[in-house]
Amino acid sequence: MWMKNEDELVSEVLEGDQSSFEPLLRPHRQGLLNMAYRMSGNLEEAKEICQEALIKIYRYLYRFEKGKSFKSWVYKITVNSAYDYLRKRKKSEDIIESQKRQDFDYGSDPEKQFLNREIGTKIESFLQNLSPKEKAVFLLRDGDGFSVEETSKILKCSSLSVRTHLSRARKKIRAQFEQANLGFKREVKSEV
Amino acid sequence: MVGSDISTSKIASIKAHLEKCPECQQEYDSYSLALEKTKEWLEEDRPDWVEREWQQAVQKAVKEKKTVISPLAPWPFKKAWAFTVMGVLAVALTLLLVIKPFYFGEGIASDSELLSRSQAQLLRSAFQESQQEVVKMTMVLPESGQKIVWFFDKNFELEVKE
Repeated sequence: MWMKNEDELVSEVLEGDQSSFEPLLRPHRQGLLNMAYRMSGNLEEAKEICQEALIKIYRYLYRFEKGKSFKSWVYKITVNSAYDYLRKRKKSEDIIESQKRQDFDYGSDPEKQFLNREIGTKIESFLQNLSPKEKAVFLLRDGDGFSVEETSKILKCSSLSVRTHLSRARKKIRAQFEQANLGFKREVKSEV
Repeated sequence: MVGSDISTSKIASIKAHLEKCPECQQEYDSYSLALEKTKEWLEEDRPDWVEREWQQAVQKAVKEKKTVISPLAPWPFKKAWAFTVMGVLAVALTLLLVIKPFYFGEGIASDSELLSRSQAQLLRSAFQESQQEVVKMTMVLPESGQKIVWFFDKNFELEVKE
């Protein structure tokens, strides 16, 4: 089946074809939800953040410059929506309630399920101990694989700032790993 | 090196150092392990939308689109308060244009004003007419009463005439 590219879909939406909006966003739907989820630490809140981001994406689609990365643009809107949401949440002092972990299906193996959940909960808490900027940089760079330059464009900051926050985030995560003594045994690795 | 953020040229020198220095090697191992596990977890534990919820979210985004001002619209038109200011300014300007003539000259004029206006008109026309072709200059000597007359053309060049 012939797939339309992003620029064509953007043009169709701008010309009033609302049905092209969903296929335009579909390739990024999990990435955006994941980003919002990591930023907020709560799935329901992540959906709210994504909802807000989707509204903004549709409303301001005419501002998107064709030929540039649509993925970076939608991530930028989602990260900004997450920032706004976190700022509001901080004001309402509802942090403890919002950081309740959601349950996910980790597979059929009960032992693996338990271990993964334990590790996951800990890593999740490590992430929540990072500042919003550190978290955003870490998730974009190490989670979603954006380059330093792309991350700096998404977050509207310099490459140097990205590197600084990334280094700080990694150090904090590593320190928390050691502190939590997760007990991973180092596998012999040939690659560096 | 752990996050693949340094150049390949530096990797070789760091690698060589790690082979010699067990402390740094340990540090590196712990660093890369933490990062590796976090990345693994980020990759595995990825929530996804329930299809129905996703469709609802998209539909809501499409329906909630408010009237968007054209990108070509100038800045003030994008703000509600600016409309008010512009309206007030437009009314004030209209009033000024309508009322001004009655207060500043175009309204009912007095007799002296009409006289000065007609004098000004006369002077203006006289000035326009004074661009004559020939200028005559006369000098009278007081001792003898003799008259000397010069004629100049419009370029003020001497023109001999009887």
